[in-house]
Amino acid sequence: MKKTDFVNELADYCEFEKEGLLVNTPLKDVEGYDSLAVMSMIAFIDEKFGLKFTAVQFEDISDCNSIIKLIGEDRFEK
Amino acid sequence: MINLTNKRVLVTGASSGIGKSVAILASKLGAKLIITGRNSERLNSTFELLEGVGHEQFICDVTDYFRIEEFIQSSVKTNGPISGFVHSAGIEKTLPLKASKNDIFKEVFETNVFAGFEISRIISNKGMFNSAGASFVFLSSVMGKLGEPAKIIYCSSKSALLSGAKAMALELASKKIRCNCVLPGIVETEMVKNLFNSIPEDAKEKIVTKHPLGIGKPEDVASLILFLLSDHARWITGSEYVIDGGYSAQ
Repeated sequence: MKKTDFVNELADYCEFEKEGLLVNTPLKDVEGYDSLAVMSMIAFIDEKFGLKFTAVQFEDISDCNSIIKLIGEDRFEK
Repeated sequence: MINLTNKRVLVTGASSGIGKSVAILASKLGAKLIITGRNSERLNSTFELLEGVGHEQFICDVTDYFRIEEFIQSSVKTNGPISGFVHSAGIEKTLPLKASKNDIFKEVFETNVFAGFEISRIISNKGMFNSAGASFVFLSSVMGKLGEPAKIIYCSSKSALLSGAKAMALELASKKIRCNCVLPGIVETEMVKNLFNSIPEDAKEKIVTKHPLGIGKPEDVASLILFLLSDHARWITGSEYVIDGGYSAQ
Protein backbone atom coordinates (compact mmCIF):
# COMPACT_ATOMS: atom_id res chain seq x y z
CA MET A 1 0.00 0.00 0.00
CA LYS A 2 1.22 3.48 -0.82
CA LYS A 3 1.66 5.81 2.13
CA THR A 4 -0.42 8.50 0.42
CA ASP A 5 -3.29 6.03 -0.10
CA PHE A 6 -3.09 5.11 3.56
CA VAL A 7 -3.32 8.77 4.58
CA ASN A 8 -6.32 9.30 2.29
CA GLU A 9 -8.15 6.21 3.54
CA LEU A 10 -7.41 7.09 7.15
CA ALA A 11 -8.70 10.61 6.58
CA ASP A 12 -11.87 9.23 4.97
CA TYR A 13 -12.48 6.82 7.84
CA CYS A 14 -11.87 9.44 10.51
CA GLU A 15 -13.71 12.11 8.53
CA PHE A 16 -10.72 14.48 8.49
CA GLU A 17 -10.44 17.17 5.82
CA LYS A 18 -8.17 15.49 3.22
CA GLU A 19 -7.07 18.64 1.51
CA GLY A 20 -3.56 19.54 2.63
CA LEU A 21 -3.24 16.41 4.76
CA LEU A 22 0.22 14.92 4.19
CA VAL A 23 2.15 12.16 5.92
CA ASN A 24 4.00 14.79 7.94
CA THR A 25 1.07 17.12 8.76
CA PRO A 26 0.94 17.53 12.56
CA LEU A 27 -2.23 15.76 13.67
CA LYS A 28 -2.88 18.38 16.34
CA ASP A 29 -3.49 20.83 13.49
CA VAL A 30 -6.06 18.59 11.82
CA GLU A 31 -9.65 19.63 12.44
CA GLY A 32 -11.56 16.91 14.22
CA TYR A 33 -8.47 15.26 15.72
CA ASP A 34 -9.41 14.34 19.31
CA SER A 35 -9.52 11.31 21.61
CA LEU A 36 -12.48 9.86 19.70
CA ALA A 37 -10.56 10.27 16.43
CA VAL A 38 -7.69 8.32 18.00
CA MET A 39 -10.10 5.46 18.72
CA SER A 40 -11.33 5.64 15.12
CA MET A 41 -7.73 5.47 13.86
CA ILE A 42 -7.08 2.44 16.05
CA ALA A 43 -10.25 0.77 14.71
CA PHE A 44 -9.23 1.60 11.13
CA ILE A 45 -5.77 0.05 11.57
CA ASP A 46 -7.33 -3.04 13.12
CA GLU A 47 -9.71 -3.41 10.17
CA LYS A 48 -7.04 -2.69 7.56
CA PHE A 49 -4.00 -4.50 8.98
CA GLY A 50 -5.39 -6.73 11.73
CA LEU A 51 -3.18 -4.92 14.25
CA LYS A 52 -4.54 -4.02 17.68
CA PHE A 53 -3.13 -0.87 19.24
CA THR A 54 -4.17 0.96 22.39
CA ALA A 55 -4.66 4.70 22.88
CA VAL A 56 -1.62 4.62 25.14
CA GLN A 57 0.50 3.57 22.14
CA PHE A 58 -0.89 6.58 20.29
CA GLU A 59 0.15 9.07 22.95
CA ASP A 60 3.40 9.86 21.13
CA ILE A 61 1.86 9.89 17.66
CA SER A 62 2.38 13.29 16.06
CA ASP A 63 1.62 12.71 12.37
CA CYS A 64 0.71 9.98 9.86
CA ASN A 65 4.38 9.16 9.46
CA SER A 66 4.61 8.07 13.08
CA ILE A 67 1.49 5.94 12.61
CA ILE A 68 3.15 4.28 9.61
CA LYS A 69 6.23 3.58 11.75
CA LEU A 70 4.02 2.07 14.43
CA ILE A 71 2.31 -0.18 11.89
CA GLY A 72 5.66 -1.09 10.29
CA GLU A 73 7.29 0.57 7.27
CA ASP A 74 7.61 -2.83 5.60
CA ARG A 75 3.84 -2.94 5.09
CA PHE A 76 4.05 0.07 2.78
CA GLU A 77 5.52 0.62 -0.69
CA LYS A 78 8.92 2.32 -0.67
CA MET B 1 -25.52 -10.38 60.02
CA ILE B 2 -25.85 -11.87 56.54
CA ASN B 3 -26.03 -15.63 56.61
CA LEU B 4 -25.84 -17.77 53.48
CA THR B 5 -25.41 -21.09 55.22
CA ASN B 6 -25.98 -24.00 52.87
CA LYS B 7 -27.30 -21.80 50.09
CA ARG B 8 -25.92 -23.05 46.76
CA VAL B 9 -24.81 -20.04 44.75
CA LEU B 10 -23.68 -20.10 41.12
CA VAL B 11 -21.29 -17.30 40.13
CA THR B 12 -20.16 -16.73 36.54
CA GLY B 13 -16.97 -14.81 35.86
CA ALA B 14 -15.62 -15.96 39.20
CA SER B 15 -11.98 -16.09 38.13
CA SER B 16 -11.45 -12.38 38.73
CA GLY B 17 -12.89 -9.07 39.85
CA ILE B 18 -16.32 -8.75 41.43
CA GLY B 19 -17.26 -12.38 40.68
CA LYS B 20 -14.18 -13.63 42.50
CA SER B 21 -14.88 -11.39 45.47
CA VAL B 22 -18.54 -12.48 45.65
CA ALA B 23 -17.52 -16.14 45.60
CA ILE B 24 -14.92 -15.79 48.35
CA LEU B 25 -17.08 -13.64 50.63
CA ALA B 26 -20.18 -15.83 50.07
CA SER B 27 -18.18 -18.90 51.11
CA LYS B 28 -17.19 -17.09 54.32
CA LEU B 29 -20.89 -16.59 55.02
CA GLY B 30 -21.56 -20.31 54.65
CA ALA B 31 -22.63 -20.60 51.01
CA LYS B 32 -21.75 -23.56 48.82
CA LEU B 33 -20.31 -22.11 45.66
CA ILE B 34 -20.53 -23.24 42.05
CA ILE B 35 -18.03 -21.06 40.23
CA THR B 36 -17.43 -20.77 36.49
CA GLY B 37 -14.79 -19.02 34.44
CA ARG B 38 -12.79 -19.44 31.25
CA ASN B 39 -9.28 -19.39 32.67
CA SER B 40 -8.55 -22.63 34.53
CA GLU B 41 -5.54 -21.28 36.43
CA ARG B 42 -7.34 -18.20 37.69
CA LEU B 43 -10.57 -20.05 38.43
CA ASN B 44 -8.61 -22.57 40.41
CA SER B 45 -6.95 -19.81 42.41
CA THR B 46 -10.44 -18.50 43.35
CA PHE B 47 -11.52 -22.04 44.19
CA GLU B 48 -8.57 -22.47 46.57
CA LEU B 49 -9.59 -19.30 48.42
CA LEU B 50 -13.13 -20.54 49.13
CA GLU B 51 -13.84 -21.36 52.76
CA GLY B 52 -15.61 -24.55 53.77
CA VAL B 53 -16.35 -27.62 51.69
CA GLY B 54 -18.83 -28.72 49.05
CA HIS B 55 -17.90 -26.15 46.41
CA GLU B 56 -17.71 -26.89 42.68
CA GLN B 57 -15.85 -25.27 39.83
CA PHE B 58 -16.55 -25.53 36.13
CA ILE B 59 -14.14 -24.21 33.52
CA CYS B 60 -16.15 -23.07 30.53
CA ASP B 61 -17.02 -20.26 28.22
CA VAL B 62 -20.25 -18.92 29.63
CA THR B 63 -21.71 -18.80 26.11
CA ASP B 64 -21.26 -22.55 25.69
CA TYR B 65 -24.89 -23.00 26.66
CA PHE B 66 -25.14 -26.73 26.01
CA ARG B 67 -22.22 -27.56 28.35
CA ILE B 68 -23.47 -25.10 30.98
CA GLU B 69 -26.94 -26.66 30.98
CA GLU B 70 -25.53 -30.18 31.27
CA PHE B 71 -23.26 -29.13 34.11
CA ILE B 72 -25.99 -27.32 36.08
CA GLN B 73 -28.41 -30.24 35.69
CA SER B 74 -25.83 -32.72 36.89
CA SER B 75 -24.77 -30.44 39.78
CA VAL B 76 -28.36 -30.04 40.98
CA LYS B 77 -28.96 -33.78 40.69
CA THR B 78 -25.90 -34.55 42.81
CA ASN B 79 -25.79 -31.68 45.28
CA GLY B 80 -29.25 -30.13 45.39
CA PRO B 81 -31.08 -27.08 44.07
CA ILE B 82 -29.66 -23.60 43.58
CA SER B 83 -30.56 -20.65 45.83
CA GLY B 84 -28.52 -17.93 44.20
CA PHE B 85 -27.16 -16.93 40.81
CA VAL B 86 -24.77 -14.05 40.16
CA HIS B 87 -24.02 -13.20 36.53
CA SER B 88 -20.69 -11.47 36.78
CA ALA B 89 -19.11 -12.59 33.51
CA GLY B 90 -18.71 -9.63 31.23
CA ILE B 91 -16.79 -8.09 28.36
CA GLU B 92 -15.87 -4.41 28.10
CA LYS B 93 -15.56 -2.71 24.69
CA THR B 94 -14.51 0.83 23.92
CA LEU B 95 -15.15 1.44 20.23
CA PRO B 96 -16.50 4.40 18.27
CA LEU B 97 -19.83 3.81 16.52
CA LYS B 98 -18.22 3.49 13.08
CA ALA B 99 -16.25 0.47 14.32
CA SER B 100 -19.14 -1.02 16.31
CA LYS B 101 -20.06 -3.75 13.87
CA ASN B 102 -22.67 -6.42 14.24
CA ASP B 103 -20.25 -9.25 15.08
CA ILE B 104 -18.79 -7.26 17.99
CA PHE B 105 -22.29 -6.44 19.28
CA LYS B 106 -23.08 -10.16 19.13
CA GLU B 107 -19.89 -11.14 20.98
CA VAL B 108 -20.53 -8.69 23.82
CA PHE B 109 -24.25 -9.36 24.11
CA GLU B 110 -23.65 -13.14 24.15
CA THR B 111 -21.55 -12.87 27.30
CA ASN B 112 -22.99 -9.83 29.05
CA VAL B 113 -26.68 -10.47 28.40
CA PHE B 114 -27.69 -13.71 26.69
CA ALA B 115 -25.59 -15.98 28.91
CA GLY B 116 -27.12 -14.43 32.04
CA PHE B 117 -30.66 -14.90 30.78
CA GLU B 118 -29.92 -18.39 29.45
CA ILE B 119 -28.61 -19.54 32.82
CA SER B 120 -31.63 -17.92 34.49
CA ARG B 121 -33.85 -19.96 32.17
CA ILE B 122 -32.04 -23.16 33.14
CA ILE B 123 -32.12 -22.51 36.88
CA SER B 124 -35.74 -21.34 36.95
CA ASN B 125 -36.96 -24.74 35.72
CA LYS B 126 -38.84 -26.81 38.28
CA GLY B 127 -36.53 -28.73 40.58
CA MET B 128 -33.47 -26.67 39.70
CA PHE B 129 -33.96 -23.88 42.25
CA ASN B 130 -34.64 -23.92 45.95
CA SER B 131 -38.42 -23.94 46.37
CA ALA B 132 -38.02 -21.86 49.55
CA GLY B 133 -36.77 -19.03 47.37
CA ALA B 134 -33.90 -17.99 45.15
CA SER B 135 -32.14 -14.79 44.16
CA PHE B 136 -30.66 -13.83 40.78
CA VAL B 137 -28.27 -10.88 40.62
CA PHE B 138 -27.09 -9.43 37.32
CA LEU B 139 -23.94 -7.31 37.12
CA SER B 140 -25.04 -4.35 35.06
CA SER B 141 -23.08 -1.10 35.23
CA VAL B 142 -23.65 2.56 35.84
CA MET B 143 -23.03 2.64 32.07
CA GLY B 144 -26.36 0.84 31.70
CA LYS B 145 -28.01 4.10 32.76
CA LEU B 146 -25.61 6.68 31.38
CA GLY B 147 -23.80 7.19 28.12
CA GLU B 148 -20.15 7.67 27.23
CA PRO B 149 -18.57 8.22 23.81
CA ALA B 150 -17.30 5.00 22.21
CA LYS B 151 -19.33 2.86 24.63
CA ILE B 152 -22.41 2.13 22.52
CA ILE B 153 -21.96 -1.65 22.66
CA TYR B 154 -21.06 -1.86 26.33
CA CYS B 155 -23.74 0.62 27.50
CA SER B 156 -26.50 -1.05 25.50
CA SER B 157 -25.56 -4.52 26.77
CA LYS B 158 -25.60 -3.36 30.39
CA SER B 159 -28.87 -1.55 29.80
CA ALA B 160 -30.46 -4.67 28.31
CA LEU B 161 -29.80 -6.46 31.60
CA LEU B 162 -31.83 -3.86 33.49
CA SER B 163 -35.07 -4.25 31.56
CA GLY B 164 -34.63 -8.01 31.15
CA ALA B 165 -34.18 -8.45 34.90
CA LYS B 166 -37.32 -6.42 35.62
CA ALA B 167 -39.43 -8.54 33.26
CA MET B 168 -37.89 -11.67 34.73
CA ALA B 169 -38.62 -10.45 38.27
CA LEU B 170 -42.32 -10.18 37.46
CA GLU B 171 -42.46 -13.52 35.73
CA LEU B 172 -40.57 -15.43 38.42
CA ALA B 173 -42.08 -13.79 41.53
CA SER B 174 -44.66 -16.59 41.85
CA LYS B 175 -41.76 -19.06 42.06
CA LYS B 176 -40.20 -16.96 44.85
CA ILE B 177 -37.27 -16.14 42.61
CA ARG B 178 -36.09 -12.54 43.02
CA CYS B 179 -34.19 -10.78 40.21
CA ASN B 180 -32.16 -7.63 40.73
CA CYS B 181 -29.38 -5.67 39.09
CA VAL B 182 -26.30 -4.06 40.54
CA LEU B 183 -24.82 -1.10 38.69
CA PRO B 184 -21.22 -0.47 39.72
CA GLY B 185 -19.07 2.45 38.68
CA ILE B 186 -15.38 1.90 37.98
CA VAL B 187 -13.99 -0.84 40.20
CA GLU B 188 -10.41 -2.09 40.46
CA THR B 189 -10.75 -5.24 38.36
CA GLU B 190 -8.77 -6.91 35.58
CA MET B 191 -11.27 -5.56 33.07
CA VAL B 192 -10.75 -2.00 34.27
CA LYS B 193 -6.99 -2.51 34.38
CA ASN B 194 -7.15 -3.48 30.69
CA LEU B 195 -9.33 -0.46 29.97
CA PHE B 196 -6.90 1.86 31.78
CA ASN B 197 -3.99 0.34 29.86
CA SER B 198 -5.74 1.17 26.61
CA ILE B 199 -6.61 4.83 27.18
CA PRO B 200 -4.39 7.90 27.57
CA GLU B 201 -3.29 9.09 31.02
CA ASP B 202 -5.49 12.22 30.93
CA ALA B 203 -8.59 10.16 30.08
CA LYS B 204 -7.75 7.87 32.98
CA GLU B 205 -7.43 10.79 35.38
CA LYS B 206 -10.72 12.21 34.16
CA ILE B 207 -12.47 8.90 34.97
CA VAL B 208 -10.92 8.72 38.43
CA THR B 209 -11.86 12.30 39.35
CA LYS B 210 -15.46 11.64 38.30
CA HIS B 211 -15.73 9.24 41.27
CA PRO B 212 -15.99 11.48 44.39
CA LEU B 213 -15.27 8.51 46.68
CA GLY B 214 -12.51 7.24 44.40
CA ILE B 215 -12.38 4.03 42.42
CA GLY B 216 -14.19 1.14 44.09
CA LYS B 217 -12.88 -2.22 45.18
CA PRO B 218 -14.53 -5.52 44.16
CA GLU B 219 -15.55 -6.21 47.77
CA ASP B 220 -17.46 -2.89 47.90
CA VAL B 221 -19.81 -4.25 45.23
CA ALA B 222 -19.70 -7.83 46.51
CA SER B 223 -21.15 -6.72 49.88
CA LEU B 224 -24.28 -5.42 48.16
CA ILE B 225 -24.61 -8.60 46.11
CA LEU B 226 -24.31 -10.76 49.22
CA PHE B 227 -27.15 -8.78 50.79
CA LEU B 228 -29.30 -9.32 47.68
CA LEU B 229 -28.55 -13.05 47.81
CA SER B 230 -29.57 -13.25 51.45
CA ASP B 231 -32.99 -13.61 53.05
CA HIS B 232 -32.65 -10.03 54.34
CA ALA B 233 -33.55 -8.97 50.79
CA ARG B 234 -36.63 -11.21 50.60
CA TRP B 235 -38.93 -8.28 49.66
CA ILE B 236 -36.62 -6.89 46.97
CA THR B 237 -37.11 -7.78 43.33
CA GLY B 238 -37.02 -5.98 39.99
CA SER B 239 -34.75 -3.33 41.50
CA GLU B 240 -31.50 -1.76 40.42
CA TYR B 241 -28.78 -0.58 42.74
CA VAL B 242 -26.23 1.99 41.69
CA ILE B 243 -22.97 1.63 43.62
CA ASP B 244 -20.48 4.02 42.09
CA GLY B 245 -18.74 6.18 44.69
CA GLY B 246 -20.93 9.14 43.69
CA TYR B 247 -20.16 9.00 39.95
CA SER B 248 -23.77 9.34 38.82
CA ALA B 249 -24.74 11.88 41.47
CA GLN B 250 -23.20 14.65 39.39
